[in-house]
Amino acid sequence: MNTQEFAPQQQDKDYGLVEVMGRSTPMVNKGPEGTLPSWPYLFVWEALLFLGVSAMLLVMSILIDAPLREAANPNLTENPAKAPWYFLNLQELLLHMNPSLAGVIVPTAVLAFLMSIPYLDRNLSDIGIWFASRKGKLITIWSTIYTVPLLVGLILFDQYIRVRSLISEPELIPGWLIPMAVMGLLSAGLYAVVRPFRPNTREVLVAYFTGFVVTFFVLTIASTFFRGLGMNLTLPWNLPPGALSF
Amino acid sequence: MISRLRQQLRQLPEQVLQSNIWRSIFRQGYPDNDENRSLVVMNSVFLHFHPVKVKTNTLRPAYTLGLGIMSLFLFLILIFTGGVLTFLYLPTIEQAYVFIQELHTSVPFGALMRNAHRWAAHLMVLAVFLHMMRVFYTGGYKHPREFNWVLGVILLVITFLLSFTGYLLPWDQLSFWAITVGTNIAGYTPFMGAEVRAFLLGSTTVGGEALLRFYVLHVVLLPALLIILLGVHFWRIRKDGGLSAPLPAEEVEK
Ligand code: HEM
Ligand code: HEM
Repeated sequence: MNTQEFAPQQQDKDYGLVEVMGRSTPMVNKGPEGTLPSWPYLFVWEALLFLGVSAMLLVMSILIDAPLREAANPNLTENPAKAPWYFLNLQELLLHMNPSLAGVIVPTAVLAFLMSIPYLDRNLSDIGIWFASRKGKLITIWSTIYTVPLLVGLILFDQYIRVRSLISEPELIPGWLIPMAVMGLLSAGLYAVVRPFRPNTREVLVAYFTGFVVTFFVLTIASTFFRGLGMNLTLPWNLPPGALSF
Repeated sequence: MISRLRQQLRQLPEQVLQSNIWRSIFRQGYPDNDENRSLVVMNSVFLHFHPVKVKTNTLRPAYTLGLGIMSLFLFLILIFTGGVLTFLYLPTIEQAYVFIQELHTSVPFGALMRNAHRWAAHLMVLAVFLHMMRVFYTGGYKHPREFNWVLGVILLVITFLLSFTGYLLPWDQLSFWAITVGTNIAGYTPFMGAEVRAFLLGSTTVGGEALLRFYVLHVVLLPALLIILLGVHFWRIRKDGGLSAPLPAEEVEK
């Protein structure tokens, strides 16, 4: 490339100082081919996204007012009293097992699982490919199909039959052993569902991550839209006024 | 006359780009050639977080879905709107709720600011979660990006905490009971539940101490922490060789 094209402002130069480094570029495993200058290709997208996000937020803020109830009153318990929506999944779990297990141990275990993912899956061959493979897509779908009805079933079971009305004493059994056994069985069952695909490590992780995400959303939705007075199950249109926590 | 004016007008942009003032701010001319396109990135504190060149895969909207950038923009909007609210808000039991009421009734654009802050907060939680899902399902956590993923999980937790601490600030029934429920959950920590809860609330119940604690966490400590860790997050993206992308076909065989 001649200097005129590369650096038109350097009129007085007809040479360039170029050094070839004997090591790979910071683009791991990639040469400069397959790249484009950030200006304008990347920055246009970022600017558009910024405008899009701002515009959407502005419209939303004009149309919908943030809720404001009566002033806080410690003597007047809200019924139902709900956590913010992203913690409602935990509050839902709380209804089904010992609160230490639901509120602290399970979320800690989930965070530990999330953090360990990259150390479990060391295979680079399928990096950058959505769902790893066709098999991975099927595994995602089947994991969802497996998880949703079981969770809904368990929620209904605990409303209408209740583990604690079958066996309430000692707390160790309904609060810890039964829920842990159920969660263990659910996890084992998930593996059994995807095993016929002969999944590799990443695909097994896809199954479990999908299980986690689906659980997060199902529990959040159940607790947000289907729990009314006393956190009992109800239908969204029968919710008491102000039961939505956002 | 007219044609002279026209010609001068045509030269104006170039003259502005060459002027001392423009050059003192931007240092280079308009980025329509490779040299200036490199310089524009290197000379700007905001743009230098980016590489001069990006992989074409990074530019595919269907790859990142723009979710990381959206999370960042929502955070910036939260800092701006939150900062404006902080001018007026006072974290005491007597004043907090009254202030929010006044925002809705007598502060010009007050309700708009509050709405924007609140909806951006919800959207940010959602965007960060979806961003995590995108990184997972594209395998973006793989070597050498393991640590950035771990850092991401911490960012997710901080985002939850920011939103949670902000939730108490309006001091209405919704926020009071939500924080009561939320801190009760923390109170179930095995062996030291009561201590954890007292540490969060500064007391045994949700009251003035808790409001002050949550306020300081919400407007100072947690945003500062998030900004620092986001700096590391972005720095790591660069050090890890930009965003992940599928391996070239010949390398997959190996
Ligand atoms: C990731 C960043 C942030 C999130 C997720 C967030 C979230 C929230 C939420 C959910 C509320 C309750 C809103 C309401 O009920 O109207 C709130 C209120 C508030 N936030 Fe933030 N916030 C963030 C950053 C900030 C920052 C950086 C500041 C200040 C510099 C700030 C200042 C405030 C103030 C003063 C309030 C009380 C006013 C009100 O409730 O309307 N926030 N925030
Ligand atoms: C405050 C929250 C966060 C912000 C503002 C943020 C921002 C970003 C941005 C702008 C990118 C560039 C690519 C893209 O847009 O997708 C990115 C990449 C990345 N993020 Fe985040 N992020 C956040 C939270 C997270 C979380 C929760 C995780 C995972 C648990 C995570 C893991 C990663 C990883 C591994 C990459 C590199 C992806 C790749 O190379 O394909 N981040 N982040």
